[in-house]
Amino acid sequence: MDVEIIFKIAAIGILTAIVGQILKQTGKDEISTVATLAGLIIVIVMVLNLIGDLFSTIKTLFNF
Amino acid sequence: MDIILKIVAIGLITCVATMIVRPARPDFSIIIAIAGGLIVIFMIINYLSSVLSSIDGIIKFTGLNSDLYTLLLKIIGIGYLIEFTASICSDTGNSSLGDKILLGGKIVILVMSLPIITNILDIIMGLLPQ
Repeated sequence: MDVEIIFKIAAIGILTAIVGQILKQTGKDEISTVATLAGLIIVIVMVLNLIGDLFSTIKTLFNF
Repeated sequence: MDIILKIVAIGLITCVATMIVRPARPDFSIIIAIAGGLIVIFMIINYLSSVLSSIDGIIKFTGLNSDLYTLLLKIIGIGYLIEFTASICSDTGNSSLGDKILLGGKIVILVMSLPIITNILDIIMGLLPQ
């Protein structure tokens, strides 16, 4: 598997933190919440794909 | 042998990435740790598949009952999955949930290995004089 996904998740995390801070400082609290939530959902979907791959690999490997 | 270097490097990279992200967003650091663990497990599984296929060949060569071998493989797979999930749960602070997942895995393994025990009992009953 590729290591890039770790860097991707870290970059998305830092980016959403920065965007959230900027939006909060300009007084748009609700938009900052939405941006943070979007980042979290993107990352969760990436990890979910990994978990699905793991399940299918284990299913084929261990004859489930 | 370079797979061990890869595993060590991925572990260190994951640790550093979690440390960098944790002050900004603690919830993302947990997800990074999960992804790093998944990548390491993928590498191990790809490495292990050659061993499993050679063991499969040996079992076919000796002519043993392959049902038992398949059951054993399933139990090993359940063990790996349960261990991984339980350690993620205890990493995120839900160690009691991890314990419950471990208990669930043990019970599933018990249920799966029950046919072997009944098989043995059937054989013993068949050997006994009527």
